[in-house]
Amino acid sequence: MANAMTAATPSAPQGNLRSAGAGDTLFKGLCFSAAMLLMLTLVGLIVSLVIGGWPAISHFGFKFLTSSAWDPVTDEYGAAGPVVGTLVTAFMAMVMALPLAFGIAVFLVEFCPKRIANWVSTAVELLAGIPSIVYGMWGLFVLAPWFAEHVQMPIIMNLDPESFWGKVLYGVPNGANIFTASLILAVMVLPYIATVLRELLLTVPPHVREAAYGMGCTPFEVVRAIMLPTVGRSAIGAVMLGLGRALGETMAVTFIIGNSHAFPDSLFASGSTIASTIANEFTEATGELHISALIALGLVLFAITFTTLAAARLLIGREQH
Amino acid sequence: MAMIDRYTRRRIQNGIFVGLTTLATAVAVAALVMILYSLVSQGFGGLNAAVFTMDQPPPEMEGGLRNAIWGSLELCALAMVISIIVGILAGTWLAEYGEGSKLASVVRFLNDVLLSAPSILVGLFVYEIAVRPFGGFSALAGALALAFLATPVVTRTTEDILRLQSNQLREAGMALGAGKGYVIRAIIWRASRPGLVTGALLGFARISGETAPLLFTALGNPNLSFSLKEPIGSLPAVIFQFALSAYDDWRRLAWVGALLIAFTVLSANIIGRALSRRSHNS
Amino acid sequence: MNFDASQADTKSVIVPPPVEDRVIDVRGLDFFYGKNQALFGVELPVARHKITALIGPSGCGKSTLLRTLNKIYDLYPGQRAEGEILLNGENVLAARDTAKLRADVGMVFQRPTPFPMSIYENIAFGVRLHRNVSKADMDVIVERSLTRAALWDEVKDKLDKSGTSLSGGQQQRLCVARGIAVEPEVLLLDEPASALDPLSTAKLETALMELKDSFTIVIVTHNLQQAARISDYTGFMLLGKMVEFRPSSEAFVKPETAAMRDYVTGRYG
Repeated sequence: MANAMTAATPSAPQGNLRSAGAGDTLFKGLCFSAAMLLMLTLVGLIVSLVIGGWPAISHFGFKFLTSSAWDPVTDEYGAAGPVVGTLVTAFMAMVMALPLAFGIAVFLVEFCPKRIANWVSTAVELLAGIPSIVYGMWGLFVLAPWFAEHVQMPIIMNLDPESFWGKVLYGVPNGANIFTASLILAVMVLPYIATVLRELLLTVPPHVREAAYGMGCTPFEVVRAIMLPTVGRSAIGAVMLGLGRALGETMAVTFIIGNSHAFPDSLFASGSTIASTIANEFTEATGELHISALIALGLVLFAITFTTLAAARLLIGREQH
Repeated sequence: MAMIDRYTRRRIQNGIFVGLTTLATAVAVAALVMILYSLVSQGFGGLNAAVFTMDQPPPEMEGGLRNAIWGSLELCALAMVISIIVGILAGTWLAEYGEGSKLASVVRFLNDVLLSAPSILVGLFVYEIAVRPFGGFSALAGALALAFLATPVVTRTTEDILRLQSNQLREAGMALGAGKGYVIRAIIWRASRPGLVTGALLGFARISGETAPLLFTALGNPNLSFSLKEPIGSLPAVIFQFALSAYDDWRRLAWVGALLIAFTVLSANIIGRALSRRSHNS
Repeated sequence: MNFDASQADTKSVIVPPPVEDRVIDVRGLDFFYGKNQALFGVELPVARHKITALIGPSGCGKSTLLRTLNKIYDLYPGQRAEGEILLNGENVLAARDTAKLRADVGMVFQRPTPFPMSIYENIAFGVRLHRNVSKADMDVIVERSLTRAALWDEVKDKLDKSGTSLSGGQQQRLCVARGIAVEPEVLLLDEPASALDPLSTAKLETALMELKDSFTIVIVTHNLQQAARISDYTGFMLLGKMVEFRPSSEAFVKPETAAMRDYVTGRYG
């Protein structure tokens, strides 16, 4: 490198790292290999899950998805409990997170006073930065006891267990159940959805927004009639992105969902998700079929999240993410 | 009701809407404050020298988190070395060479999938390729799992940041007779340095709190270990073990660990974002 | 902007319309973008059912002045106006309800701003903000507004198509139709033709000439010919001051200030 200047004389341009030539090709090749390595990672991930899960899939066939028997003692594995647990918790989390995320995004774009805008948006971003194991601990030691004492106990004391609501809200009052798991999930995905929604709202052309105000619209009317339709399809993408996060979240859920493989029969019942089942059992699993069944569960999770994420990307479009 | 005039009604409607959005934001900020408060109030008291000088204790004995802290540092450092090299090169290819090609959009899409793939699946993958074939859990496997998680973040930020550089800068470099590769390394990378650092910090923030993929790759180790071939302890794994235990001492240490980890991750996030804001503004 | 600042010190010449004809009367208006003052004691009398044009080199404050008339500037923190803007004798700057104000003072922007909805809905949207209208009445309003904006014939068969599917010139006339459907007293236009081709511009101007029978119009324009063609009064601004305000018929033929003379004869563009 030190004598590159002399090497750049007309006679010997080859091998010079600064001008076009061999060095350039090498560098381009390195960059290309790195990109391919990345691609191979995902392909490898899929292939390894298929190979690892194959014994269980071929052994149980389609029943793997429909059966809810999960018993390492009898070597009987059906994924229905965790799969339903995954879908239900993710769905409930979205129902709770979406209105809040929308509110946050609108507040930040339209109403937030300039002076505190930076602080508020940093706080929302930090919520996304808290490690999931911290959410899990907080859920287990702070949220669950509070929930058991202030929500579940009053319900048990005052509600007829045979009534409709009595059944829906039935559960051991320890705060570790599907509902509290969804609540924690909702807080975790909230910042992701809010951030994407906010970026989408900012793509509404300022002159259109101004024109709406120029007609005498209130901010509420501008958001409802102008911004939402403009954002439209992409907003659904933001939702799917949050859903993808909620589906695959592991640690926080493992702490607080109660870890039971039974098919959840009420809102306050303990349950499990695919990710929590893998986290809890993988290192303890000794039987080949048990390990394989866990990896097959992983494959199911991958299929679900991949579909959601792919849909999200298609709907949002790359540039606006 | 019909007597309320149209403008009053619209103003009230708008007022309710503003109120609700403010409330939603307040809920999010309150959640953050509550979690941070719990961390500090439960974890700060246990923060003493022993945490850094003693290894994790057996139940009901005195001890610290030294082995886990060093383990986490080793795992993250190793993972970041891999991620930074692969991520920056891959991001460079996407931004500078792959422009417009089909292959680039495929890679970009797969990178996005990897970016938000459940981390526990990455753990399973690494178990299959780096634990099972070699007959044991190891620090190397753990670092590999973390590297797979951080690389997409670095790739993504690198691509975004390189795209911000103006084409004139590239053309000016080429016009001097420099090769494209040299222009990228000497001019574009240098101009993007704060952004690249941000990418690395965000990648670090992504993995330093990760637990799930470590459970069945690095496993855990109650003793201080620096060997790449042995299982190694890490803060998240110890927190997981201790928090779910029945021993008060262990739980206290779990809170201390959670406090350490949360503040490391949050600082990395804050610094990363501050740097990126600065580079976007300039 | 290579004009000489000293020219701005020349005494201004204001020949206003009679007081009883004025819908809007701007008196001693100062305007600030944060710490930067953009308007200095501006006077602007706007005559009823006339077209008032504001001209001047870019950066002279003509758009800023226009944007104070319906207080659209208050979307942006840090921007503020001081002085008096009387709308039928009432000070707009003191008015709290901007929604009501903007029903009375409509605005059409430089770039066409169709809303993301059908052509019909684009017009109905604004009307519904201010009053309840039956479907049958709304049909009438939509047709009448589009006709007055000289757009009806071109869109009558595709009212349910998106407003964004129209050409730029049509979009701009749609915005005019949308603005007048609310029946404002005053219609503000901020360089409405600057993004249009000559034919679309001609159509827009024709529409405006007919609209002045029912509305009071204030238009900001770069285009001197346009101002001369359609306006009744012309205000020439320079460096945030109203330098010359007179009936257009006199102003263009015989500018009284040196600054306006230079501008009209093309010394700055």
